[in-house]
Amino acid sequence: MVEWKFDYSDLDKITENKPETGPGVSEKGELCGIMYDDEYKEIMRVFRGVLSLKEKSERALYATEVAILAVPAFYTAWNYRFDIVKALYGDSGDQLDRELDWLDEFTLANPKNYQIWSYRQAVLKVHPKPIFRRELPILAAMLDEDSKNYHVWSYRRWCVQFFGVLDEELTFADALIVRDVFNNSAWCHRMFVMKELEVDLAQRAASAEIEYAKAKILIAPQNISPWNYLRGIYNGILGSQFDAEIVTFALAFAGDVFDAHGDASPTANAQSSFALEFLAAIYSQNEETAPKAIAAYNALSSKYDPIRKSLWDHKIARLRT
Amino acid sequence: MQGVLTDKHSKFLKRHLGVLPSRYQEHDANKLSIVGYSLLGLSCLSDEATDPFKGSRSWLRRHYRTGLFNGKKIGGFCPSQLLDVENATSISLPNTLFALWSFICLKDTTVLTEIDRVDICRFVSMCQSPNDGSFVGSLDVLKESTTSPTESNDSRMSYIAVVILYLLGLKTPEEMSEFIDIRGLVEYLKTKCCINGGFGEYGEAHAGYTSCALSVFAILKTEWHGLSETFLEETLAWLKMRQVSSQGCHCFQNENEYFDAQDNGGFQGRENKFADSCYVFWCLNSIRIIEETHTNETERGAMRFLLERTQNSLIGGFSKNDEEEPDLYHTCMSLAAIGLMTGKFNGPLFLPTHLVVAAL
Repeated sequence: MVEWKFDYSDLDKITENKPETGPGVSEKGELCGIMYDDEYKEIMRVFRGVLSLKEKSERALYATEVAILAVPAFYTAWNYRFDIVKALYGDSGDQLDRELDWLDEFTLANPKNYQIWSYRQAVLKVHPKPIFRRELPILAAMLDEDSKNYHVWSYRRWCVQFFGVLDEELTFADALIVRDVFNNSAWCHRMFVMKELEVDLAQRAASAEIEYAKAKILIAPQNISPWNYLRGIYNGILGSQFDAEIVTFALAFAGDVFDAHGDASPTANAQSSFALEFLAAIYSQNEETAPKAIAAYNALSSKYDPIRKSLWDHKIARLRT
Repeated sequence: MQGVLTDKHSKFLKRHLGVLPSRYQEHDANKLSIVGYSLLGLSCLSDEATDPFKGSRSWLRRHYRTGLFNGKKIGGFCPSQLLDVENATSISLPNTLFALWSFICLKDTTVLTEIDRVDICRFVSMCQSPNDGSFVGSLDVLKESTTSPTESNDSRMSYIAVVILYLLGLKTPEEMSEFIDIRGLVEYLKTKCCINGGFGEYGEAHAGYTSCALSVFAILKTEWHGLSETFLEETLAWLKMRQVSSQGCHCFQNENEYFDAQDNGGFQGRENKFADSCYVFWCLNSIRIIEETHTNETERGAMRFLLERTQNSLIGGFSKNDEEEPDLYHTCMSLAAIGLMTGKFNGPLFLPTHLVVAAL
């Protein structure tokens, strides 16, 4: 049985009429008849009791904690807990910090739950002095656990906007890319930062970012993330103006695809299908180079990425019309 | 369908509708999703597979709750009797949609009266934010504000809201706009477009969110609401790139710890992730929404991945990959994907075609 920290015996009168379900009281036609244990039934009886009184007290807060521990995705309990926190703690930063401490513990034990992140945002929004640094340890711990956790990355980006802090973000993304150059979330984070910058700042930062991506491509040419990043920088920030230098860079991974007698040469194989796709998109921009784009799509279709034959053939058909 | 172990999957799914051990109580807040995924999965297997459960319609109906919220009457479904509190709003959009899907699988939508339908539409209406057009899944439990302050909004909730309205008979944007702000809904989804195609949060495209956003556009049926042709073309390419391959240059990924050559033909949810059976559905549904003619070669590879790598031939069910145990969610998603590929499943409404015809 649960060891309650508070006395809830006065609630018995309110909750006693509630029909308990479960195998003991098997209902006609019941589906998914969960064999609720007695502890669970008691937890929810107390929870329903305090909620039906709309009580905002320490004991009600504790009842939500016990309910959330039993059912981490219990949206009603998270919502009620927040209403209690607001009423009890008002705008006391110290007390709201303690709520965040509790949430940190819960988060570490329940990494897959996603109510934790929206709850956190709700708490920070009522906090008188929210601090970005306060959020870093839990973010680091969660990414250590799963470096591609979508909710954790989304929360980091929410923080960047909420706190208006961009300074450390490229360094942060870099550390994760150094750890795993294939971490697409870290690459997307870099792009997110670039899009957050003022347009002229982003344009000035672009050439360094291009060099950054090129260096990472040299480590692993068949890695879609830095190629996508390059595409994003050129299309999203530089008005799709590709320069000769980037074309030369990509050609180094294209093997003999663009040689006049490419098909007959058995020697030079392309090292990266993404380089071919990248070049094909550039060559598709004008009519003069369109034949080269077709050559690249043909090479992808027949040899370097045949699983997507229909996509590459579709691209060729569009270029020919 | 050849190669689908129908009887084993049927048993696997039915087990989830029977008596469940107490460890399932931690899923009590999503109990109707267990009911819904099981019944939807069974409906994919055959038209009659859900017949033994028709007697459960009134039990399901007992999860329906109405209440007054800011002076307006609303209706919806709560997940479980144990989690329901009088005078508090414990209904949610996801539980409401799973209940509607379940009634359709049990071939009786007359359980809901005209009055119920309007009350549910009003609930959906109140879940929409007047600020940005997004939806959250529930209303504030103590009625101190409108929507729940602790719920997140993303394209999944927009999808759920629109499907609920559609299943309640509001089939056009004009009819829906009696309850929701269609323009706000569309503008919100457009903010989720990513730079290289696809939809996602904060610029990171994700196949699940993409399927939800595209399904909304498919249900609204109005010429993409100004999404550019370039964006749709890039999204189509982004989706096709999610098919994992071990051929050509793709074998040069030895250092990628999230690459497995055995995943060939399967789909991943994001770049540089392992293939996962549920993303076969999310990607193929999205691809089929954008592209009218579908490509057999793509789908043959996906089918092989499902049948040979994630189908469990001993206890039935499908797992996310070849390492995990089969689970209810991946079983339902895999059967839906197979239905999609064999022309028997309506992807945007997430219902077997025969039920769409019968119910709507």
